[in-house]
Parts: sequence; structure tokens; C-alpha cells
Amino acid sequence: MKFYRVNVEEREALGSYTLLRYRWNGPVEPGQFVMARAACYPITLDPFLARPFSFYDHDGGVASLLFEVRGRGTALLDAASSIEVTAPLGKRFRIELGLGRAALLGGGIGVAPLKILGRHLDAMGVPHDVFLGFADAAASVVAKDFPGAEVATMDGAVGTRGTVLNASGALTNYGAIYSCGPNSMLAAVKLAAGKNSLCQLSVEERMGCGNGSCNGCVVPVHGGYVRSCIEGPVFDAEVLAW
Amino acid sequence: MVVRVQETGVDLEVELFGIPLRTPLIPASGTLSKEALDEVEGVYGAMLPKTTTPVARAGNPPPRVAETPAGMVNSIGLQNPGVERFLQDLEVFDLGIPLFVSVAGDTVAEFASLCEILSGDERISAVELNLSCPNVECGGLVFCAGASSVEELVAACRSIVGNKPILAKLTNEGVVENARAAEAAGADGLTVINTLPALTIDARARKVLVRGGLSGPAIKPVALRAVYDVSGVVDVPVVGSGGVASGTDVAEFMLAGATAVQVGTTSFVRDPQEILAEFTAYLKESGLGASQLTGAVRSHDPGVPVPRPKPVHESSHH
Repeated sequence: MKFYRVNVEEREALGSYTLLRYRWNGPVEPGQFVMARAACYPITLDPFLARPFSFYDHDGGVASLLFEVRGRGTALLDAASSIEVTAPLGKRFRIELGLGRAALLGGGIGVAPLKILGRHLDAMGVPHDVFLGFADAAASVVAKDFPGAEVATMDGAVGTRGTVLNASGALTNYGAIYSCGPNSMLAAVKLAAGKNSLCQLSVEERMGCGNGSCNGCVVPVHGGYVRSCIEGPVFDAEVLAW
Repeated sequence: MVVRVQETGVDLEVELFGIPLRTPLIPASGTLSKEALDEVEGVYGAMLPKTTTPVARAGNPPPRVAETPAGMVNSIGLQNPGVERFLQDLEVFDLGIPLFVSVAGDTVAEFASLCEILSGDERISAVELNLSCPNVECGGLVFCAGASSVEELVAACRSIVGNKPILAKLTNEGVVENARAAEAAGADGLTVINTLPALTIDARARKVLVRGGLSGPAIKPVALRAVYDVSGVVDVPVVGSGGVASGTDVAEFMLAGATAVQVGTTSFVRDPQEILAEFTAYLKESGLGASQLTGAVRSHDPGVPVPRPKPVHESSHH
């Protein structure tokens, strides 16, 4: 896999999360991701693999990634002045005109791709509502970057108490539903979406390579497994077998 | 052999059982998808796609991969669309270089049937037998678990695959005895080694994360030892595999006795073009051609024990 070394232009602490910006002039589509790591290879082989991150935003040649420090890989990423990233990977969110209002539902770090998706929906004149669910107040700080979004926290410290679906209520009036978060949340969104709307889900899976080679990041579909890095990470909800 | 001097003035070409390879690098089976081929143009001397089986396999449920220091543990379960579909789509792997095909089955008969199917396909230059899969006729022990099992399997494939060379891919355990057995049964080359049995545990959740095979730079010294020991006791060429992460690693495997070298897990985290560039720089600095490296470390190492007598090579196909 080819990696490009880029300088971290800006790093912003957002409660539990970090927003990291770097220059990237090529096209970035909403829902796509990169494999990223601190620019330390091959000085250290531990951690060995890069980590997948959805693009949070891309504007004016600056790309941004949202992440939470969970282990050594993300800790190094959080401290690095330069990082190594792949070109944008994976399938994008599909935007269709004429479906009416769209609902965007994000859970935890899964709010990331909804920022760039919202930008593209705005540009195409698609009206939409944003609903964000977090564990607690610290995680919900990023919500300030989503003006007008309805927020839920599991402990009720900010916004509605409960999950993102407690914030959104019924989804049956929406013509398109886009979501990213833990699998259990996506399954609940799929159920709430019913069958009459476009429903696209971006899965979060551990990845080995990011380019389809290792078959490590599979998700269950009817009839077997498919790779979330190539066939996804954005799937039509009905494709997923959960 | 025609010596091809590249623009760099470095001769990268090697010959593996009579097949010229423009570089000694081969992707390890299961580590280079069709979607990633554009990135590796010019790197490899032969193409080797993911293992194919008689019928489609869905593979194992996730989690399938876990990161470890300098490597990863995988348990993919040979997910593949089956040999019929594989051959229908084979053109995508035509890179203008020799195409090797990795096969696996549950039984000796399944391996043999795959070899029979591939024997008449002119697009395929050689067959690699993935001997690390479970033999359901032997209580699920891998085919590599015993020399007699290796010999039976290789002999069955040898008799039916026609004139295509066979590479027997061996695991580290028992590798020297299995290498002798494979050679005696007519293998034309040996791929040494496959992943090492490994386990990762999620302590917080108190459960097994992935039980599978360890690959990556962590296993390189183990693989290097296996290549060194095996190449000392067999006449057939050895293809080194296991943790190759740099051009220097490629040189080390060849010096230890490998004729060609597979690059696998590291291609997930490095551009294989860099590995070839480093290897090219090594050759340029040393003033040697790639093919001159094979086994060269032995003549400089008086401490190497004299190899035991070699078995008679019962080759029936040359």
C-alpha cells in the first residue's frame, strides 16, 4: 500500500476526540476513508498496521480526520507532527435527488463522515436533519461543529437521554437516511428506517490493509461476507445481514 | 539464461524451475487483491493470487485479524469464490508475467482434482500447494503435520498436474523433513514458510480475539532459519516467505538459499515498490546480480554443518 507523508496543519482537541487537518488536493467523496498512522515507519514496527479513518471533512485542499485516542496507534497519531496517509479509499455515500428530506445519524466517533456528507448535501440542495449520539458530555463536544444538530447522550448530561434514535424519533418521514456508528446502532437505524427510504450505513471495522487484500474487515451479507474496505464502508442497509 | 540488464545497470532476473522471473519478488498468496494490482506494476516476477478451493468458501466470522508487535494474526478461513469462478475471472491477474496459482482442499483427492483442472490451462505457469490447511481425513491435522502426509499429497498432485511445476508451501514445524518428503514426491520447489500458529486474547473482554496464523516482520528470523536449513538439504529451489519487509530482507533470504522471495503482510503497510528499489540499490552496491545471491552465505560460513545425505530425487516430469 502506498502511503503519502503529509504535515499536520492543525490539531484541535474536541472533548474526547481530536480533529487533525492536513493538506490534500485530490478529490475526496463523503463516506470515503484513509489508512493513517504517525510518520514513524519503519522506526517502529509496533504498532504495525495503519488505522482506518473516515474523512471528517475536505474543503479548499484541507482534509480532516476525527479520532479518539484508544491505543498506541492513535496516541502516536495524536502526537505526530507529520502523518502518513493513503489516497481516499472505499465507496462513498450515494446522494439521490428528489427523495425529500434526509436524516443523518451518527454515534460516537461515527459522526465523522456526516460532516463532509452534510457539506455535499448542502451543495446539492438536499434538506437534511442531523442527529448525534454520544456516551457522555466529553464525547459530545464535537457536536458544536454541527449547527442545528439534535444531540443525545447515554447519561443524559447533554441533550436527550439515551441513544441517537431517542433524539431523532421516528424516521419514517425521511426519504433518505445516512448513518455511521457501532454495528448495534446501525442495526437499530436500519430497523427504524423501514423499507421505503434510501438507507445507507457506514460500518466501522478493524482493517488490516485497506485495499482489499487481506479479507480481514468483512461484514456479513446475505450469502457470505464482503470486505468493508472495497465493497464498503458504505452499504445499502438491505445488503447487510443484520 | 539471458541476462537482462535493467536501466539501473542491475540484473534483477532469476530463474525458478526454468521460468525466468524479471524480479525475484512474488506476492505471498492471499496478500494482493485484484483491486491493488495497479500499485505494484513492475514489482513482481510472478503473480500469485489468493488460494482457490474446489467450491466457494465464505470464510470465518469476524474478527479475522488482530495486530501484534511487528505483525498480525489472521484467521480468514480461505474465503474465495471457488475454482470455477476463479478461472472465469483469471484474466484480471494477467500482468504479463508468469501466473502461479495457489490451491487447497480438504482431502488429497480435492487437491488432485484442482491440479487436474489447472493442468490444461495455458495461462497458469505453476501451482503452489497450500499445505497448511486441515486434512479432514486426518482428524483436521494440517497436511504439513507429517512427512508421509506431505509425500502422499505432493505425489498425487504431481501425477496429475502435467508438466506444470509444483511449489509445496510448508509451515515451519517439521519443515526440513517435510521438505525432503515433498522433494522426494516430485515437488519442483518449496515455499518456506507459511504463517506461524498464534493466538491473541482480549484481556479486557476475557476472550480469544483471533486464533490463527502470525505473519509480518515478527516471523522473519524463523523463516530465514527455515530457508537456510531447507536449502541445505534439497536440490529443488526454495522460495523464501515470512516477514520480508525491506530490500535487505530480500537479499538475506536469497543469501540464505532462496531463489525467489515472497512479500506478504508488509505490503499492507509499505509500498512494495520501495522494497524492490531497496533491493536494487543493494545489488548495485554489491555489484552482484540477483541470481548470484542464492545460497551465497554458505561459502562464507565455515561453521555451517555439512548437510546430511540427500534423498534420491524421484522426479518424473523433467
